Amino acid sequence: MISEHVANIKTGKITAEEYIMKIIDEAINCDEEYHYFSAFSGTLAIAQAKQLDKKILDNSFDTKKLPLAGVPITVKANICIKDIETTAGSAILKGYKPLYNATAVQRLIDAGGIIIGHTAQDEFGFGSFGANVGNEYPIPKNPIDPSRVCGGSSAGAGGWTRKTIHEHAALCESTGGSIAAPASFCGIVGFCPTYGRVSRYGLIDYANSLDKIGSMTKITADTALILNSIAGADIHDSTSANNPVPDYTAALGKGVQGITIGVVKQALGEGVQQEVANSCQNALEQLEHAGARLQEIELPTTLTYGLPAYYILAMSEASTNLAKYCGMRYGIQDIKNEHYNDYFTRIRTTHLGKEAKRRILLGTFARMAGHRDAYYLKAAQARTLIIKEYQRLFAHVNMIATPTMPFIAPKFKEIQELTPLQNYLADVFTVGPNISGMPHINMPVGKSQGMPVGLMLTANHFQESILIQTGDTLEHTKNRT
Amino acid sequence: MSTPKIGLEVHTQLSTVTKLFCSCATQGTEEPNTRTCVICLGHPGSKPALNSLALQQAIKIALALGCNITHTMQFSRKTYYYPDLAKNYQITQYETPLGVGGSITLDSGKKVNLTRVHIEEDPAALEHHETYSLADYNRSGIPLVEIVTEPELESPAQAREFLNKLLTVLSYLGVYTEGGTIKADANVSIKEKNYTRVEIKNITGFKEIERALTYEIKRQEQHEVVKETRGWNAETGLTTSLRSKESEEDYGYIVDPDLPTIMVTEKEIEDIRASLPELSAAKIKKYIAQLGIDSLDAAIIANDLGVATIFEKMIQIVPATLAAKWIRRDLLRVLAKTEKTVSEINLEHLKELLVMLHRKEITDQVGQQLMTTLVEQDESPQKLVKQKSLNKISNELSIKGFCEDAVKENSAAVEDYKSGKQEALDFLMGQVMRKTKGAAAPEVVRQQLKELIG
Repeated sequence: MISEHVANIKTGKITAEEYIMKIIDEAINCDEEYHYFSAFSGTLAIAQAKQLDKKILDNSFDTKKLPLAGVPITVKANICIKDIETTAGSAILKGYKPLYNATAVQRLIDAGGIIIGHTAQDEFGFGSFGANVGNEYPIPKNPIDPSRVCGGSSAGAGGWTRKTIHEHAALCESTGGSIAAPASFCGIVGFCPTYGRVSRYGLIDYANSLDKIGSMTKITADTALILNSIAGADIHDSTSANNPVPDYTAALGKGVQGITIGVVKQALGEGVQQEVANSCQNALEQLEHAGARLQEIELPTTLTYGLPAYYILAMSEASTNLAKYCGMRYGIQDIKNEHYNDYFTRIRTTHLGKEAKRRILLGTFARMAGHRDAYYLKAAQARTLIIKEYQRLFAHVNMIATPTMPFIAPKFKEIQELTPLQNYLADVFTVGPNISGMPHINMPVGKSQGMPVGLMLTANHFQESILIQTGDTLEHTKNRT
Repeated sequence: MSTPKIGLEVHTQLSTVTKLFCSCATQGTEEPNTRTCVICLGHPGSKPALNSLALQQAIKIALALGCNITHTMQFSRKTYYYPDLAKNYQITQYETPLGVGGSITLDSGKKVNLTRVHIEEDPAALEHHETYSLADYNRSGIPLVEIVTEPELESPAQAREFLNKLLTVLSYLGVYTEGGTIKADANVSIKEKNYTRVEIKNITGFKEIERALTYEIKRQEQHEVVKETRGWNAETGLTTSLRSKESEEDYGYIVDPDLPTIMVTEKEIEDIRASLPELSAAKIKKYIAQLGIDSLDAAIIANDLGVATIFEKMIQIVPATLAAKWIRRDLLRVLAKTEKTVSEINLEHLKELLVMLHRKEITDQVGQQLMTTLVEQDESPQKLVKQKSLNKISNELSIKGFCEDAVKENSAAVEDYKSGKQEALDFLMGQVMRKTKGAAAPEVVRQQLKELIG
């Protein structure tokens, strides 16, 4: 529990430096087999820890401040850390060291958090399994069964959050399910706030209208603490929201009396592994026991049009975002005497991975003059309809429940046989809240073949607290049973 | 002679202190790549944030050109790969330009309609060398306004006049300073070739526009015309093919998801409209109708806001016709000769000079001398008149003395006059004017001399 760790640091029971050295040791050892990290920021972390220890020893700090004093933090590879190689998992950004911290990173540092490194991911976030890593990057392995995937795209964050024996929180990002999916496959709490709740400044864009920074932690109480520090408006991100930021820890221990949960019947039926459906059903019954009301609902527009609309919008935006990577201003450089057009083409051909190229091509196609109306503009209309469908439902229920993923973490050899389309279908439940910008949480709710099963709860825009409240209740009812 | 149809796309930089989407300075050190940051360099993770002053300035321009302002607008990404483009896409306005409609009326009364006015970011500046090119991102992200006309211009001269009139509006709004860059792309077609449209890129300055269009029309008259994009080369004076219409780029516009929809309220628009200065066209009308100024004088004075402002201050004190005559014929002449600008003029001194002229205390000749001194030396004309006794000598007695001297000293000229040579009188007058430093009233001198010589 992070709050206890912070108390121990602040009272001097343990020193930040010692703790950080230990977790970095663990991370480096673990990385050899599991490949959760793409960069370590050990030197910076230890300097930061020493500084913190000195402050505590000198008693020269406000005890109410630094709510994350000495908490080890990992950051997904697509969120900028000043002076630390930040590649979004792509070979084309090898060597890129940002000149600035992302707003979320800076806020965690200001709260006393200590950044220990970058976690591995699918290249630019393009994947549901963590297997679409950039050229020459190793693929992260599931912490429970290394023959299985971690889930993507925040694969390293998911695997490491589950694996570490230390207190820790992962800063990560979701475009279409990149937090919920690995959290589900690794059995941890994955939290994705409302679009705009956390500043995207310093986040390497996949699809700007869909990207959201969130967290992965072992328990919900830790999520509340992290969200307290990172949420809030930012002048550097014009899409960040001005809504006031509540104290999310106030939602802890409140129970679920009087809360109505909409259960999507279709999502517990055909196409979903039986044990996954069963575990989710059990968890929902536990919540009902704890005082929540369950109500059957339907999500027809979202489940029909969510996936295609999501992929068209995401790929269209991605194909413009990735245009800047051409080996000219940062990242990989390999200058020969040739025309700039040939140079850009050679660099992009050599250093972008297969899935990145696929998405650039599909996205470029969808926004071409002859196709814009049929694809890009249609998809934008579908998104509006999906948001409306959610909001109609939220007039009656506080939350919507589905499994996070329709199956448990697949084995590497299983995903090798999947077509790109089958790959994309894995996101069927996660794209709904992601395309509509709704906050959602993955809660580990059981096991199937020894692998974790995740329940996903989605709430209306800016209703993060109710998700934390419910996740926390679920953890405590589980402890009782 | 052919019948051309010309449309223009004019780009001009706004005069904001900071860039369009970041807080880098638009002006300052010329050292390449120093006025840059992660945003205008397009570094991964950086995001644009709109400079609201640029938006206001652009609205001002659109209003001054008579456009309707779009209340709900968005920015778009125009994607193409070029080394001057930090992100390989340019943030511009596509579906929702800031202004639509509007027009500029030429002297002939011809109205040139505008299609749209929108804001976009300037790319970096490229400097081409024989085997390599250099990029300077100081320019990257500077706010530009693009003004697009309907293809209604009928000659290169009209295009030049249009640009000139546009520049006057922009300088009245304080968004264009003399010597600033103005760039245009043109589309040109001629009736004789079935109006097959050719785009001409990269024309800088309004003198070039006439040259480029004249060349291109002649080319179209003499050669087969295909739909294509051509580039203007000011050095060679030729346009050359860049690409054919078949290989025209598809920019794949999408709305820029980093920039939220902008809502401009009717009140904001009206506030900006209220802050607009009176523009030159309105001034010219007023000068002619209400002040009785000659139309050429009116047009020249109103063409420059600085000159018009001085003129309007002077007519508080002296009659408008006198102020117009002296400002247009003398002040502007001296300024042009000395390469100075109106802003350098000491208005108190100008006022003194015009008042003395109005009261006929000095002659026109002295007035002209003083105008030169006033521009060059910043000295009080009143003081100079006193120091050098340049008052108009109208006292007949004192003039008489000068005339007597002239007659005594130039007996040959007197004889000439007597024998019927009229020019001899002019010579004698010149002698008197020289001695009186131009201060004597010419009509009195002439009268006196005639009396003396008989």
